[in-house]
Amino acid sequence: MDELKVSDIGLYNVKTQDDAIQYIVIKLGDEQYGIDIKYVDNIVRVQHITRVPKVADYLKGVINLRGEVIPVMSLRIKMELPADEMTKATRIIILKLEQHGTIGVIVDEVKEVVTLGQEEIEKVSYDDKEERVNFILGVGKHNGELISLLDLNAVAMENK
Amino acid sequence: MDVNQYLEIFLDETKEHLESLNTQILSLEQEPENVDTINEIFRAAHSMKGMAGTMGYKRMQALTHDMENVFSEIRNGSMKVNSNLIDTLFQCLDALEEYTDNIQQTADEGTNDNQQLINMLNAFLKPGGKEQAPAKESGAAAKTEDGPAEKWMDIKIGESEQLVLSTAKSQGKNIYGLTVYVQESCLLKAARAFLVYKAVEEKAEIIVCNPPAQDIEDEKFDLDFSLIVVSECDIEDILQATRSVSEIEKVVGAAYEVEEAVAEKQSTERAAETKPAAPAQAQSAPAKANEKKTPGKPVVNRTVRVDIEKLDVLMNLVSELIIAKNSLVSASSTEGGTGRGFNEQIEYLEGVTTNLHESVMKVRMVPIESVVSKFPRMIRDLSKKLDKKMELYMSGEETELDRTVVDEIGDPLMHLLRNAADHGLESTELRLQRGKPEVGSIFLDAYQDGNNVVIEVRDDGNGIDVEGVKNKAIERGVITPEQGDNMSEKDIINLLFHAGFSTAKKISDVSGRGVGLDVVKSKIESLSGEVEVKSRLGEGSTWIVRLPLTLAIIQALMVTVGGEKYAISLGGIQTLEDISPSEVKLVQNREVINLRGSVIPLIRLSKELDIESSKSPEDNLIVVIVKKGEKLAGLVIDELMGQQEIVIKSLGKYISKCKIISGATILGDGEVALILDANALI
Repeated sequence: MDELKVSDIGLYNVKTQDDAIQYIVIKLGDEQYGIDIKYVDNIVRVQHITRVPKVADYLKGVINLRGEVIPVMSLRIKMELPADEMTKATRIIILKLEQHGTIGVIVDEVKEVVTLGQEEIEKVSYDDKEERVNFILGVGKHNGELISLLDLNAVAMENK
Repeated sequence: MDVNQYLEIFLDETKEHLESLNTQILSLEQEPENVDTINEIFRAAHSMKGMAGTMGYKRMQALTHDMENVFSEIRNGSMKVNSNLIDTLFQCLDALEEYTDNIQQTADEGTNDNQQLINMLNAFLKPGGKEQAPAKESGAAAKTEDGPAEKWMDIKIGESEQLVLSTAKSQGKNIYGLTVYVQESCLLKAARAFLVYKAVEEKAEIIVCNPPAQDIEDEKFDLDFSLIVVSECDIEDILQATRSVSEIEKVVGAAYEVEEAVAEKQSTERAAETKPAAPAQAQSAPAKANEKKTPGKPVVNRTVRVDIEKLDVLMNLVSELIIAKNSLVSASSTEGGTGRGFNEQIEYLEGVTTNLHESVMKVRMVPIESVVSKFPRMIRDLSKKLDKKMELYMSGEETELDRTVVDEIGDPLMHLLRNAADHGLESTELRLQRGKPEVGSIFLDAYQDGNNVVIEVRDDGNGIDVEGVKNKAIERGVITPEQGDNMSEKDIINLLFHAGFSTAKKISDVSGRGVGLDVVKSKIESLSGEVEVKSRLGEGSTWIVRLPLTLAIIQALMVTVGGEKYAISLGGIQTLEDISPSEVKLVQNREVINLRGSVIPLIRLSKELDIESSKSPEDNLIVVIVKKGEKLAGLVIDELMGQQEIVIKSLGKYISKCKIISGATILGDGEVALILDANALI
């Protein structure tokens, strides 16, 4: 199984500040999302995903990660985007969450790691109408681009 | 002193001692005179006191100290065991357990002094102690002067010595036996003994010496030694001579009767077994103790305490080794077998991993004794609380199970036993009316059956009142009256496992709150086990708990359904059948097959797993016949891949919603295959 080296995603030129948080920037469709790096255990290439019958549609199945069986979910389906197309750039990000344990999420592409200070993050107002807003903690601005910061616990929460 | 690093050992050992005290005090109640039991209790209490003291747990130490006092009185025979005393002792054990729990949680023993218990203990000590102790003590003191003093009587005479003695006797010489006691403060025992030797030799000829002369020279004796001598002098002369040696406490001696010696030889041997002071007793006593102890629990265990986590790591490594081995096997078969040597090596590796797996499994196995040993005490308490006479008989306590299973099985078994005691056994009056023995019997039998361990809880009570259960179920709205009429006796009995069901007419704090049997069932099922009931009205019921020996690695049948690979545990599989589509019949709109006289429902796995079967409807069906309890079912699969040893991995709680999948495993090529739970399908 191929695992990306940290240097592959540009960690070496990241400056850390005291109140700043590092995010892994991923692409999903046309949008960019940020995942807090402290929850990221690993990033792996797509491999055979074993389907598990009779579970929610966004749960794609399970993979073998160094001898452990890890559930994998599709961020796209969860966020009601068109289903994933597996390309060369597709990756599975392995997250370690306190509440839900280890989970893999499928993303279109992993771009880079950015450091965002508190002043670069804008909180978003909560909107009942749009489901997707619930998954977003805030929006970060970096080099003129917008990065939606994912609320991972909300993402991992079961759909009702 | 920093004692934290010893805390764990302290807790472990304290729990062991508590467990042993619990069982020993119970057997003390049965046989109040058993010296071995009393000694065992005394030892456990004493070491517990010592440990508590070292760790600085003063309250615990105080309580054990007073318990020890009581045990010591019992041991001296100055106090009699009665039911009251046993009750108090059990309360003390509960208090100690409380201390231990507190220590485990907070590293502090808590503030409960248990003064009341200590007072109760002392109350036992005082009246009994004053009346009986002095008399007994003087009796005991007298014993030490009389009983063992003439140790020369116990000397065994060999044949050659016998000959010498007889000749001496016939020559008209006197034969005496002597026992010499050296003062306790004596520093050079050997030297004193030598002087005694010399003094005696001036007057007489030493024939036998116990211990042997060589041992005495090497100072290998306690404070006394015995001699048998032949002499022409008077016994008093000899005694006088020896008494002149300084630092000698006393010397006793008398004429030794040779004629009797031969006959006596046997009788002394016999006497040695019964006489308390005889040296042979020391050997026969532990031998007896050994006989009584169940095998598998020697007095001293040669063990090393290992953190369960370390074992888990070892287990994981073995699992990975097996996965690696499996991938080698699959590589060799896909690459068309690169020569015989390669295959041989793989077979060798397979042997090694299987053995390694077995031994690691064995390390994780513990006897269920640690769980069931608390039950006799529980039944005793229940007997008092429910005012029913009952007795618990256990067998197979040495049966071993995986550590994780043993840790979990205690509560369900306790529920079943309480159930048997409360609901199963009738009241004493009713039992007498029915002509049953007044004392109800509850049995707990454990034994290994193939890859399973079976634990049976049986009682000779009333059995399950099927009509009563049915009426209750209808009343509670669990089933409708119509349903009730159509249900078999077995199905009705199974209603007992329904959540929120309890037939107890009065609610007691023993059982009958409606939680219990459903919890028992789900707990046992979470351990991949099963529970069933057999009952005969008026004769009693049997609850059968079946548990897998191991949870981690199983033999499985690998199959494919719609191109996906699945594993089915070999445990439940009866046979594999090739069935032509024409043999499939419909009964009540369900597909069944008639297999050698029994009608078996078919379950199409492709349908259950929401996937297209890769086979056309005209093809023969491959059917795996599985058994759950008494029920059979046929699972229709696409293709057989073969048998394989698989390592069970959890799917994790995130994905655990799927009932028919009990776990996953990693195949030789690194792919994940799901494990089908045949029990959930039936």
